[in-house]
Amino acid sequence: MVDDQALKEWFCREVLPLERSLLAFIRRNWRDAADVVDLRQDIYERVLLGARHGLPAQAGQFVYTVARNHLINRAKRARIVSFDVVVDLDAVSGNDVLDPERHLLAREELRRIQLGLEQLPPRCREVVLLRKIRGLSTRQTADELGIGIDTVEKQMTLGMRALANFMLGGSAKVQRSRVPGMLARRPAR
Amino acid sequence: MTRSQDIEAKAAEWLLRREQPLWSQADQAALDRWLDESMSHKAAFWRLEHTWQMADRIGALSARDIAPGPRRAGLPLRWWYAGALAASLLLAIAFIGLHSGPTSSPPPTADTFDTGIGGHRIVPLADGSRIELNTATNLRTLISNKRRDVWLDRGEAFFAVAHIEGSAFIVHAGPRLITVVGTQFSVRRDDDKVTVAVVQGRVRVEDTTPGASSGSITVTPGDVAIGLGSSMMVVSKPVAAVEDKLTWRDGRLVFDGTTLAEVADDFNRYNRQQLLISDPSVAAIRISGTFKASNVDAFVRLLKEAYGLKVELTADGKLKIST
Repeated sequence: MVDDQALKEWFCREVLPLERSLLAFIRRNWRDAADVVDLRQDIYERVLLGARHGLPAQAGQFVYTVARNHLINRAKRARIVSFDVVVDLDAVSGNDVLDPERHLLAREELRRIQLGLEQLPPRCREVVLLRKIRGLSTRQTADELGIGIDTVEKQMTLGMRALANFMLGGSAKVQRSRVPGMLARRPAR
Repeated sequence: MTRSQDIEAKAAEWLLRREQPLWSQADQAALDRWLDESMSHKAAFWRLEHTWQMADRIGALSARDIAPGPRRAGLPLRWWYAGALAASLLLAIAFIGLHSGPTSSPPPTADTFDTGIGGHRIVPLADGSRIELNTATNLRTLISNKRRDVWLDRGEAFFAVAHIEGSAFIVHAGPRLITVVGTQFSVRRDDDKVTVAVVQGRVRVEDTTPGASSGSITVTPGDVAIGLGSSMMVVSKPVAAVEDKLTWRDGRLVFDGTTLAEVADDFNRYNRQQLLISDPSVAAIRISGTFKASNVDAFVRLLKEAYGLKVELTADGKLKIST
């Protein structure tokens, strides 16, 4: 068994840089765009479950195989998805690999972080900057801005998630809840 | 189907809570339990943690931008980016020489960087190297094409040195001089005592104090060289133990069977609220765990609750720990 620390390092170093390419693969092969994030998360879970028994030598190949199998299984189980999706997927080469994002130079990485921050809504950006630049706690941020702690927490968690999406996948769309304190629920298909 | 969104939101909440001052061992245990519930939780948490830590860079740069501290005259801002850039492309071979230093006082043109008690600051240098200043640290830098000099006047710093052919990187720590080609290591100075811990690369430590007879010592990752007066000692530790010594870089102190006396000394380096331990039997208590360096209160509470120790405020405002 691979211990958690090694698994985490491998995941951050080898798997996360594949995210952009993985998302593109899912989008190409799955019709309902609303499922993409869930599929990505399921694939990560399966990748980690598999890698726990021994870190794969080729992360790109491994993640691709897991992703492809998962999409095929999901398509087969979801009766509503028309059968041609499965056929398409079967036709997709099983020996392909996902490409890791070219290793970003620190300057580019920094630029991307800045871009990600710029795309956050103003209040959200403000709380993230207070945390990252001045190191303020949630309580101090709330005092500084004269807003409630729960608002700070909400904005900060939204910011964290949007930044992750932007830095790994290229889109900093903030996932907003429709009901305060609850996550947006899509109507069941 | 928003299961993954739920998990991600939960992961973000944990990550945020972990950064707060009141984070306790019990909280950590609860987080560990949540992570162990499902690999999906781990995936979401590690992913957010990874990018959230990457975003710390913005803090370093902007703080440098915003802070009224010294600025290299005429150096355009993009050099800071270039600095951060090259710092991530570190190479691994180094030579450290500890020499005598009456000649090592910096010219007046050197830039000054410092931190107060509990401070932490990342300084990207124009050559692509990076220096992280720990609590209560003063240092000065002078960077040119041919030579890079840093004077550590007080405190502790972690150096990530960019390899530049033909350009030495020299750390002056009191009477000692440390010459580097490219590596990652930390130097801590407590008056005359200089501690060099190497994380990456190979380092040669040399004492050339006049009259010193000791030769050079090779220090590899996991080694900690301690120089005091004219003597020099190298302690080999697991690399993980050396890395534990560097957890100040993310604001944490990690102890593994460390005596309470040493732990208190460490907390005292980071906080104005000083701890006082006079009873030797209390000083000898062994502590293990990870603590936020700035959170003395949580640590003191732990001593009270988990170890049943007494804490009282002395007349001069210190927290006295006793049985």
